[in-house]
Amino acid sequence: MLQALGALTPLSPSSNATASSNAAASTSGQVGASFADLVAAAAGHTVGAMRGAEQLSVEALQGQADVREVVDAVMSAEQSFQAAVAIRDKIVTAYLEVSRMAI
Amino acid sequence: MDALTTALKVASSGLSAQSQRLRVVSENLANAQSTGDTPGADPYRRKTITFAAELDKVSGGSTVSVLKVNRDPTDFPLEYLPGHEAADANGYVKMPNVNPLIEMADVSEANRSYQANLQVIKQARNLISMTIDLMRNQ
Repeated sequence: MLQALGALTPLSPSSNATASSNAAASTSGQVGASFADLVAAAAGHTVGAMRGAEQLSVEALQGQADVREVVDAVMSAEQSFQAAVAIRDKIVTAYLEVSRMAI
Repeated sequence: MDALTTALKVASSGLSAQSQRLRVVSENLANAQSTGDTPGADPYRRKTITFAAELDKVSGGSTVSVLKVNRDPTDFPLEYLPGHEAADANGYVKMPNVNPLIEMADVSEANRSYQANLQVIKQARNLISMTIDLMRNQ
């Protein structure tokens, strides 16, 4: 998750604020795609970490995995999840901010 | 790789190394009275463990790993037990070269090292969590 965040390039500001709604939609669509990719990659990483932690937990219950490995995996999954939740909160806040904008 | 994540990884390898050490010590303690079963046979020989630094190529950190589990070459103490099945012609039995006092000191040291590594993991996790919390609403 943190690695994915490091790859985030700053979004280019939308310059055509006065353009037609059609043009604005296409611009936001383009910016949205790259941001969606980032979120998808980060979410994928989180889900992968959770899956790995789950798998290791099951292996530990069967006596095949180290307690330490399980703790490592579960903790890293938890951290990824926390980061994902924090970013989701940020996105939702930004969306609400935009929706409250006076037209 | 992230420095704090590397710290977590290195401390985790420390946990692994110290638990291996505890395993070897427990073998020694459990076998402190294990003799041979034929006259004059060698008893259990004490095991020792050595560690070595290892470069983790993914993160660039130096982790610790178990280098070798060796056998302690010191002599076996003799004990006069004529009725024992491992007694030689003079009635002496070779006992394991395990000194429980040394083993207990080793247990304490392994314990302390394990705790120190656990503390590092706690601190690093705490720092990562606090950094993530920066994103939350103030």
